[in-house]
This record gives sequence, structure tokens and C-alpha cells, in this order.
Amino acid sequence: MNHSWLKTNTFHHSEFKDIKELVEAKNRKQLTISLCLPTLNEEKTIAKEIIIMKSELMTRFPLIDEIVVVDSGSTDNTLDIAKSYGADVYEAKNILPHLGDFTGKGENLWKALHITSGDIIIYLDADIKNIHHRFAYALLGPLLMFDHIKYTKAFYDRPIATDRKKIRSTGGGRVTELIIRPLFSLFFPELTQILQPLSGEYAGYRSLLEKISFPIGYGVETSLILDIYEKWGLDVIAQVDLDRRVHRNQDTKALGKMAFAILKTFINRIEGLGKIKLDTELFHEMIQYKLTAGEYETDIYEITGDERPPIISIPEYCKKLNRQP
Amino acid sequence: MEHILKKLPAFVDQIRQIQEVIISNIVLIGQTPAPTYHEEARTEIFLERLSDAQTDYCATNDYNIPIGIIKGSSEGSFPPIFVVAHLDTFLPADIDHNYIVRKHSISGPGILDNSLGVGVLASLPVIFKHLDLKFESDIVLAGVPQSIGKGNLQGIRHLLDTWDGPIRGAVIVEGEKLGRLNYYSEGIIRGEITCNVTATGGWEHRYKPNAIIILNKVIDEILAMELPQRPRARVIIGKINGGFKHGVIAYNARLGFEIQSDSEEMVKRMHSEIEDIVNGIGHENHVNLELNIISNLTPATLRYKHPLVKNTVLIMKALGLQPASDSGESELSIFLARKIPAVTLGVTEGKNIHLESASMKIKPMFTGIAQLIGVIMAIDSGVCDES
Repeated sequence: MNHSWLKTNTFHHSEFKDIKELVEAKNRKQLTISLCLPTLNEEKTIAKEIIIMKSELMTRFPLIDEIVVVDSGSTDNTLDIAKSYGADVYEAKNILPHLGDFTGKGENLWKALHITSGDIIIYLDADIKNIHHRFAYALLGPLLMFDHIKYTKAFYDRPIATDRKKIRSTGGGRVTELIIRPLFSLFFPELTQILQPLSGEYAGYRSLLEKISFPIGYGVETSLILDIYEKWGLDVIAQVDLDRRVHRNQDTKALGKMAFAILKTFINRIEGLGKIKLDTELFHEMIQYKLTAGEYETDIYEITGDERPPIISIPEYCKKLNRQP
Repeated sequence: MEHILKKLPAFVDQIRQIQEVIISNIVLIGQTPAPTYHEEARTEIFLERLSDAQTDYCATNDYNIPIGIIKGSSEGSFPPIFVVAHLDTFLPADIDHNYIVRKHSISGPGILDNSLGVGVLASLPVIFKHLDLKFESDIVLAGVPQSIGKGNLQGIRHLLDTWDGPIRGAVIVEGEKLGRLNYYSEGIIRGEITCNVTATGGWEHRYKPNAIIILNKVIDEILAMELPQRPRARVIIGKINGGFKHGVIAYNARLGFEIQSDSEEMVKRMHSEIEDIVNGIGHENHVNLELNIISNLTPATLRYKHPLVKNTVLIMKALGLQPASDSGESELSIFLARKIPAVTLGVTEGKNIHLESASMKIKPMFTGIAQLIGVIMAIDSGVCDES
């Protein structure tokens, strides 16, 4: 396996600290940039993300052209707060409504392609407690400064909030180390160089993102990497060290559901690539158990593994953004 | 002054237009822990924010105090105006410092004391540009470390001790409370009394003394001290801790107190009395009882009729604020002791100032900033020069 990618395509956010230089590169290349924040009940963090990005990368430096929130049906004050701080707020179900409505992060990211107009789209999770504008400008850095790089992924230390007071460092994510890394090692050893393939912060050129399909749920990060790798190769991908990201902790059961969705996406991909042949259909239910009143009860969560097709195949999209299918 | 007063109400909405810059600074600075004596990270980010705002001069001095200077048009003909806020907080570094921004409020540890003050200070260069304000004097923006508690205002003392040349006037920025106007400070001695009951060695105790009970005796005697009505004086018993567990006699205990008076003589006299109490009880009970001074301040004041105070009152009233005056310690004492006219102002309203759940209101902050700018403009127009 060639390990050179890790050296040549890995960056640190400090390499792109000169935001003025990034703005110059953006203007020189005549690009526009959209920031998309997918949300579901993020009232505690959404304002901070919008305010800091707007202040630093719109007001101070004109690096980002629009901030868009795409929501999956929040029941808290996420939408109201996001609007009050000037983001363009959309409910996913109202975007391309005739194509149906799924709930999931991937659905939001895919629909964001329709309502944004940037040549580059940055996706940031909306639950980042220590948000800093480096999360956006560092992901843009390689895209703007290196012509061959078309997609960037974040990696970082991942302290998690363990209770109200203390935070501790976790090292790598559990699902990454227990699911993704073994699978990459088995089927795509080159991709193990991507240190945190499940990080929720990435950016890419529209010209790539519009040509790949999006699983509606947790599998979207994995599928984006696999599809970009298969279509354009590893060299168009870069990863950027963002130092530290503090987020809320997820319990093991939630991670189990995430792992289920990722496994489904992965298996679908490698089957499609002819790397394995399944003689049976996969089930759609993640079955877990919980102890209630001294008895075990099943806790079933359906994950269908639906995917949105490349958005370039949607006529409304091509018309709205003047794209050729 | 009239022309300044007329402009102020419009400033409030204009400042609100760049709220994201101000809130970003408050959050980015406030989320960086800065316990007293460990303010390096906050120093760095404060300077970075000033630098990003293209402040004319940004650097730390030899005591690692971060300073930004906005050059004035008089090119040194007028002395500089200082605007300062203390960087340090009373909170340990390892608690969760993440802030939550809501529609009308921001919450998080240290937000009111004094992330808000420092965040506003860091935003001033951008606000001045947005309001198209220029000054004759240089505006010196200083985030001062080692201010609170055992820091004993060492940061500001050092800054002023080493500053070369006169200072035209100063404004100290504190997070809360909007309407606050401090222009005099009392004399203070802040001390700690520690009681240690040795487990071995020396005279054996017939009846083992209890450190907490000993400190209780000290408190009783302090409370029995006769304090005059004039000059005003008081002793505040502010902190106490000690002991090990419920069923074991306390071997050690600690009492924190503060003597406050507008007479330096009275502060000294009361300190001497407390020293006698401590020595007496320590001797009578065969325990190690010690009194240590953590910090002290001499009383200093501007008169109410001082033009800076009078005009600050006018500025606050022009913005619909009702000034509330009380003694203010902090950096104010150090400026006033050096005969530099200064006032302390609060920026907004909030609650739970010293709890991790502290929160501030966003809307009143814009009035608080307008008030601050009004006072800087007033000093620049010469209200301190007359004195």
C-alpha cells in the first residue's frame, strides 16, 4: 500500500490561517462558497456556529457567500434562533417536496445542494461546542490553494462532554476504530490514511458532490469517501487537522444504530463494486434490547438504507442551478 | 458634550448591526479558560482578535500584558486614553467553558466576570470603524492579568508602573451591571486566617482543639469589634473552609475576610486589632493561628463634581440609564491612586455572575457599549484635561 497520501494530502489548519490569502484565491478563481449546517434540535449550539462564521468569514473576510441551515424537523428553538442570527433556514421536507421526505443527515446534505448556489459547499455538524471559524476556512484551504484537491475532510482530537462539568479526550471515535478502520483495512487499505472518515465536517466542489448519491442517514460520510475515491481517486481528497472538537457524547446504543447504517452503506458499495457477492438480502432492522421492569424488551430501529441519486439527475436542480445533466 | 450626547442613542442600533462580531469575541475569549496566574491562552486570543481587527499596534509588554493601540490623530499631542478589562477569572481551567448563545442571552462560566468586558474591549476597533469614529488621543486597549483575588491587581499595577508618560483618563470595563458607575474606591485589606492544630510534637493538648471552633472564636471577636460610623468601616467574613470529615475533629481551617473603609487609617487600625485577636486566641489555645494579607488597596476617589463623573452621568442619562454609584475596587483603585481620572462601567444585565450558569442579556449590551464609547469620546474631548 502506498502511504504517501498521508504525507502529501494531510494539512494543519494553521497552514491556512491567512484568510485574506484564501479570499484572494477564491476571487482569482471566481468561486462562490456556501456553508450548510444540517440540524435536528441544536438550539444550544446553532447560534454560536452561525454568529462566528458570519462574523469572521462574511463580515470580516468575504470568504463565505451564504450560510444555510437545513433542518430535519427540530422541535426545540433551533429554527427560530438560526433565523434570528441571519441564516437562511429551510426545513428539509419543503425542499423538492414532490420527491418525498426522509429524515436523516444525508437527506439534509443532499437537499442543501438544491438550495445553495456555491461552487464549493462546506458541511459542518451543528453540535460543535467549541466552534471556531478554522472549522470552515481550514477545510476550504486545500480546495482553494491546490487545484487538484476537490474534497476535504476534518480530523481532530475529540474530547467529549462527559457530564456538566468535565471534558475528557477520547482519541479516535469508537465507530471509526471498531467498524470503519477494519473495513477499510480489509477492502480499501489506502483509505485507512483518512484518520477520521466519519468526521462530520467536510467540504467539496459542487461539481463532484452533484454527481454522487447520498444515503439519507449516517452512512453518508462513508459513501462520500468511497464514491469520490472510486470515481476520482484518492488524490482529490485531503484531510485537515482542526486540533480539537468538543461535542456531546453519544451512548453505545446510539453508536450501534450508527454502525448498522454505516455497515449497510458499506456492504452495498462493495457489492456494487463486485468486491463481495451476497447470497441473501440484508435486513432493515437494528435490534437492540433494554431491561424494563426486570425483563428484556426488544428495541427495534428500522434503517432502510435509502439513498438519494446524484442530484445532477434531478431536472429541477439542473434548471435552478443551470447545470448540465 | 452636546454633540456627543446627541449621537449616542443612534449608536445603539448601529452597534447592534455588528452584533455577530461582538458576540464572536465574547464567546471565543470566554471559552478560553483564564484562572488567575494562568491567563496565557486568553492573552493570546485577545491579541489575536485585536490583530484580526487590524488594530494599529498589538503586542504584549514584558509582563505579558496584551495591549492594542489605536493611533490617535494628534500624534502624541494628547496623552493616551486607557480602556481596560481584567482577563482573569475565578474559575478553574478544567471545567466546561463552552458558552451557549440563545436568541436573547449568552450563558457560560465567567461570562459576566469578565469575558463580556474583554470581548467588548476586543471589539472596540471594529466598532469604532463601523461608527466611523476617530480620536485625538491614542486609545490603549489593555487586557490585564492577575487582577482578582491573590492576583491583587498586579497586572494593572505593573502596566501603570512601567507606562512611560501621562495618561489622559481611563475606563474600566466590567460585564455587569449596566448603570453601574464607580468613581471612588475604598481602602481594603483582604486577608486569610489559617488555623492548624498540629497532630504531633510540641505541647500535648489536654483537650484537642478544633480548628473550626478556633476560627469561630476569631469570628466572634471580630464581630465584637467596635466600628465607627465615620469614617465608614466594616469587616466582611467572606469565605470559610476546613475539616476532613463529619466524625473527626478539624485539624485545619481557613477564614477569608476583607476590611473595607474609606479611611486608610481605619483600615490599618482594624487590621491591627484583628492581628491582636489572632495572636491572642492562638496563644490561649496553643494552636498555630496565622494571619496573612492577600491584597490591599488604599482608598482613592474622584469627586462627584469631577468633569469625568459629571459627564459620565450625562452620557448614561442620555441613553436612558440611571447611574448607580458605589465603591468600586479593581483596576479603578490603581488608576485613581495614581491621580489618573477613571471610572468603572458595566456593560449589561445578567444573573448568577459567579456561578457556572452565569448568563448575560444581549440587547442591553448595545446600550452598555454606546455608553462606554460616549465616555471615551468625552475623555477625548477634554473632560479630564480640566482637572
